[in-house]
Amino acid sequence: MEQIQNIEGLQLTPDLFEPLSEAEKNSEFIAAAPRTYLSDAWHRFKENKLALCGLVFLLIMVVMAIVVPMLSPYSYEQMDYGAINLLPCTEHPMGTDKFGRDIFVRVMYGARISLLIGFSSAFICLVIGVVYGGFSGYIGGKVDMVLMRIVDILYAIPNLLIVILIMLVFGSNVGSIMIGICLTSWIGMARLVRAQVMSLKEQEFALAAYVLGASTPRILFKHLIINCMGSIIVNVTLLVPSAIFTEAFLSFVGIGISAPAASWGTLANEARTLIESSNPIQIIWPILAICLTMLSLNFIGDGVSDAFDPKKK
Amino acid sequence: MSLLEIKNLTTSFSTEQGSVQAVRGISLAVDQGEIVGIVGESGSGKSQSMYSVMGLLSENGRVEEGSILFDGKEISPKYFDGNEKAYEKYMESIRGNTLSMIFQDPMSFLNPVLTIEKQLVEPLKNHRKIPAAELHQRAVELLTQVGIPSPEERLKQYPHQLSGGMRQRVIIAIALACTPKMIIADEPTTALDVTIQAKIIELIKELKEKTGSGVILITHDLGVVASACSRIYIMYGGKIVETGLADEIFYSPQHPYTQGLLACVNNPESDNELQPIPGSPPDLISPPAGCPFVDRCSQAMKICKQYMPREKRLSETHGVSCWLTEKGGI
Amino acid sequence: MEQPILRVEGLKTHFPVGGGLFAKKQVVKAVNEVSFQVMQNETFGLVGESGCGKSTLGRTLVKIYEPTAGKIEFMGRDVGSLSGQELQEFRRNMQMIFQDPYASLNPRMTVGEIIREPMDIHNIGSPKEREEKVSSLLETVGLKPDHVRRYPHEFSGGQRQRISIARTLALDPKFIVCDEPISALDVSIQAQIINLLERIQQERGISYLFIAHDLGAVKHISQRIGAMYLGSLVEVGESSELYHRPLHPYTQALLSSIPIPDPERMRSRPGLQLDGDIPSPLDIPSGCPFRTRCPHATQRCAEEKPQLRQVGSSQVACHLYE
Repeated sequence: MEQIQNIEGLQLTPDLFEPLSEAEKNSEFIAAAPRTYLSDAWHRFKENKLALCGLVFLLIMVVMAIVVPMLSPYSYEQMDYGAINLLPCTEHPMGTDKFGRDIFVRVMYGARISLLIGFSSAFICLVIGVVYGGFSGYIGGKVDMVLMRIVDILYAIPNLLIVILIMLVFGSNVGSIMIGICLTSWIGMARLVRAQVMSLKEQEFALAAYVLGASTPRILFKHLIINCMGSIIVNVTLLVPSAIFTEAFLSFVGIGISAPAASWGTLANEARTLIESSNPIQIIWPILAICLTMLSLNFIGDGVSDAFDPKKK
Repeated sequence: MSLLEIKNLTTSFSTEQGSVQAVRGISLAVDQGEIVGIVGESGSGKSQSMYSVMGLLSENGRVEEGSILFDGKEISPKYFDGNEKAYEKYMESIRGNTLSMIFQDPMSFLNPVLTIEKQLVEPLKNHRKIPAAELHQRAVELLTQVGIPSPEERLKQYPHQLSGGMRQRVIIAIALACTPKMIIADEPTTALDVTIQAKIIELIKELKEKTGSGVILITHDLGVVASACSRIYIMYGGKIVETGLADEIFYSPQHPYTQGLLACVNNPESDNELQPIPGSPPDLISPPAGCPFVDRCSQAMKICKQYMPREKRLSETHGVSCWLTEKGGI
Repeated sequence: MEQPILRVEGLKTHFPVGGGLFAKKQVVKAVNEVSFQVMQNETFGLVGESGCGKSTLGRTLVKIYEPTAGKIEFMGRDVGSLSGQELQEFRRNMQMIFQDPYASLNPRMTVGEIIREPMDIHNIGSPKEREEKVSSLLETVGLKPDHVRRYPHEFSGGQRQRISIARTLALDPKFIVCDEPISALDVSIQAQIINLLERIQQERGISYLFIAHDLGAVKHISQRIGAMYLGSLVEVGESSELYHRPLHPYTQALLSSIPIPDPERMRSRPGLQLDGDIPSPLDIPSGCPFRTRCPHATQRCAEEKPQLRQVGSSQVACHLYE
């Protein structure tokens, strides 16, 4: 207070003491530029360099998975007994396998399957989990009790057992692997959404919507689910790598995608037999692909969770 | 010399939107044995200025400038030459000891899994070398002092077993444990009901008489300061806009904000129409160059928009920062 | 102000709590036998300390909670039996403003979407008419039409409360339950909101139930005021009557504990203060609920619950006035 602003030399002239008109005041003025929740989150995500690298790598992977098998002169199943077990060379950047198939094309083709399974099963889990958990949490009471007990029962059945049974019944293809993965993976999502919806539905904005006469689906999706989007997205970024990993694991132990189709797990399995013989390097490629994809997905997950929940460090 | 003397204190917070200048160069002084009120709306910087004193700013907050003299020693973090450890250590030694704080929300301050006794003797154990045998006796005395009936039983209870008013009394007892020289009470009654509020204010006044501590009462409620405080600082937009004895503030307010505040407060004994102050408080990310109140002031002038008014002393105790006081001189 | 728009009779809202394998099931009697009327174009103030059941009462009126017993009659119709189309119509006429301006607006919707939503729900007007109405409502509450694209977090508490008010007005309701709409706001903003609500009432002829814990705040807006304690109405009277001649010991204590912004007056004021805290609504005292804190309590107060009876122009539930 004693500290006087640097205005000692100020000449106090009468015109300075003219009243200020209403127009010159900005009493309901908002200084900050409008920003939405998502643009805020994206802004924070960009700050995280590792997550950004992960995203770039993943995008490159997706593009290559689509483009490489289309443009390459080799197809994933085309055998060439004149060129088996080649080391990487100009024609075959990752070499060839024991049937003379181009490994680069097969890894990229495998990326198609692995990424397809990863993203679509995460998406299916998202839809089921959000709807199931949302209704369970919002309606509450007896309905919630019954729905949650069903989930508990499903959760108690060993995951791997179900997957193997489904593969036996429906055969080893992408569809049955996805069913196997989705059958239990949505449970985590449903529990998360239920818990969030239960706490959000007591919030005054949800009550306000109720008093306005909004229907249950409207309150649930327009008011409640949209407000737990942050943790839902974070959860999805964890579901994708876990689905990819499950598929790779199943294929590796021989109950997943079967040859000649190739997923990363199948490729690793095929190359496994060659480790001790002529060409141990073959197994590197699918494993490298899995590791790098996992790593970048995990970085993305980390970045997303920081972006949506800046307080949690 | 005053017990607490703050000069030109400036505190800011870094946020994603930019730097929020919460406290913008305030100076104030509090003596032993007086209750001083700091009145302001949310966002006026009244709490943050005192958190700066206590060293309790959140991680993104920083004291940019100014000096804080407490009990003859400089306790501004600036003064410790960037040695944060030394600052923290020193603050820990006085916090809860000679300088203590009463918080707004008693429930979030008390630890739910510890008994009242454990929490009450904590500062005594930390700061005073009191033999373990005497701790219990001291705890009983403290609860009796703040007017809690059957203290022996209360000591064994947990916070959730007490009512809101009771909890606030426990908080006050904890603050008093080491007979501090200075107590800073941050909205101690806001979370309480009116009938309880009056009792707590009464208690704070009584305890000040008994212990002779200096008290700073942070509040948004002019009614509360009217009954308790001898001197008052009015804060707006991170600045002190008016200061004076309670009578000076209530009976001859000079700043248009103080006048507006008095006109819109609910006085159950008068039938006057409520006179609202139009508009909203300023955005402290880009604070106005001139008077922070300019956009809501009915008597605003051209100069107010451009230059921050300097403080003018109307009497030994009464000071106001408003260009209207200089208008007559032109 | 000739006929009541809202009539509440013997309303009870109880909540069961606890009741596990070993715990005994208990009942919170949040609202216990409350009867009152609100006239057309009138503001009825409801005051009481936290936990007295005033908010539960408000929420029961707008059908967030179902009443345990009693009758609510709104615009001549029993509210309890409404469903389907009739319920939607009831919702159009009966609206609510909430306490916390930070929690009552969906943070992911723009201001425009928030104010338009009631019209979307009830299918009122064409999209263009809705847009126009949003703009005019924003102006009514003193905000600028170009604020529609902003999100709630960009506004101050008072501005948000005005957005809330605009949202309820979108349906042109006849009755608004205001649940402590100003207690979370700064003093200088409180008066803005009260004056805005008063202006809207004059322009549109809306009736209010105005809930507050602060007697000072309701005084300026209400014609009649009811004081509530532990689920029961203890006194109902004309606003000025209640302020100048409070009858019930609780109303007297409430009034005398409001701090007055006047140091002289505070020094000279006799301190009629209440001892103790409000009992838990799980365990309401027998007879008069206030007797544990009342300076005039007698044996009779413990045995018999006093009923609201006419004393002068007010109604009071106290054995002292018999």
